[in-house]
Amino acid sequence: MALKPIKVSQLNSYIKRILQTDPILGNVSVIGEISNLKFHSTGHVYFSLKDESGKVSCFLAAGNANKIGFELQEGLEVTVHGYIYLYERGGSYSINIREIEAAGQGDLAQAFEKLKNKLQSEGLFSQEHKKVLPFFPRKIAIVTSPTGAAVRDMLKIITQKNDIVDILIYPVLVQGPAAAAEISAAIDDINSYHTDVDIIITGRGGGSTEELWAFNEEVVARSIFNSNIPVISAVGHETDFTIADFVADMRAETPTAAAEKAVPDIRELREYIDTLHIESKRNLKMMLEYKNKQLQLLDPTVFSRDILSRIAMDTMRIDNIKDGMTERLKKSISDKYHRLYILKEVIDGADPKAILKRGYSVVTDENGNIIKDATILKDEQLINIEAAKGNVQARVVASGKE
Amino acid sequence: MAEKISFEQVLKKLEEASEKLKSEDISLEDAIKCYEEGIKYYKECSELLENANQKIETLTK
Repeated sequence: MALKPIKVSQLNSYIKRILQTDPILGNVSVIGEISNLKFHSTGHVYFSLKDESGKVSCFLAAGNANKIGFELQEGLEVTVHGYIYLYERGGSYSINIREIEAAGQGDLAQAFEKLKNKLQSEGLFSQEHKKVLPFFPRKIAIVTSPTGAAVRDMLKIITQKNDIVDILIYPVLVQGPAAAAEISAAIDDINSYHTDVDIIITGRGGGSTEELWAFNEEVVARSIFNSNIPVISAVGHETDFTIADFVADMRAETPTAAAEKAVPDIRELREYIDTLHIESKRNLKMMLEYKNKQLQLLDPTVFSRDILSRIAMDTMRIDNIKDGMTERLKKSISDKYHRLYILKEVIDGADPKAILKRGYSVVTDENGNIIKDATILKDEQLINIEAAKGNVQARVVASGKE
Repeated sequence: MAEKISFEQVLKKLEEASEKLKSEDISLEDAIKCYEEGIKYYKECSELLENANQKIETLTK
């Protein structure tokens, strides 16, 4: 039994409620091929997902679209994860996508890890096998697509920095099923027939994982490893890492960076050697000036002037010594006079005559001996008495007793 | 590659000569010899750097 008629918007609103409460439709994963791809200026992406007999609209919001690691293309098979959303106004529904992945992408990631582990355990990535890039290469080979932006960018950088190094562009396919074999053969060929090449750069510009895939193939890795010529890998953008990057002697983030790393700047080198030249000149000049100064010190006129002034100095010195000596001698003589005078005073004080003047007399015997002991004198013995003034002879009258 | 004069080697010799000239205890004779050698290396380096006949070719198979 039919309900009473309802409005269109009421119907859409009802269907929307049914859809959005369904547990399966709230979280679906759908496989299909992209068609009708439209990038809106707001960053949102609209497309249809189709298979042989059906199609469904899809909406990918700008925020989610930025997170995809590969390029969306017409015809690309993808798996989308999201929920069913009904536009009430148009009465149409679409899959509102939360995540999207290229079909088979999981397989690629697995193959990458497997090969990486295998080559790593074989030692292909080890540091001891890395060759040092020559500082001043004479010839560089670039193994890449001859028509891509990468080769143009590399040529531009290299020729700007360096107008000496020769460049051999070795054209190869860089994507598609034949690419890996071509890249590998090119590296081998350069090693065999272009032995004047000093550095090989191999790479390409940015692209999807699939587009860069040739650089994840084992043949390429083996050729890079076996190359006697150092290899720089230059694949995609800074965030892209390939097996080739791990095996190469040097990984460049981009083709442009590879070009920068491969060659020295000729103008800088010229400036550098000019600096060395000027420095050497200056050092030699300084040395000559120094030696010249040393030589001037040995000049005879300077030498004789020096000698004369030394003689004058020495003369002055011995004159000083002589003067000092004279002074000291004079002083010594006057000291002696003074001392003599003092001694004379002392001697004068000790003169016996001076004692006689004080009233004493000196008694001597006939022989002039001074009598200090009167008891030795005999009676009638002659003695002399000397006073301060005059002297007499006398005869002992009574010999003395103690 | 092997038979060409290596720029690196000549540059290294130029650097060595320049370094020796800086040392205090070098005799005048050695200094002059060093300088003359340095000039020779400098000219060799210069010539190599002036030799700008770059060839760019694309291999055809």
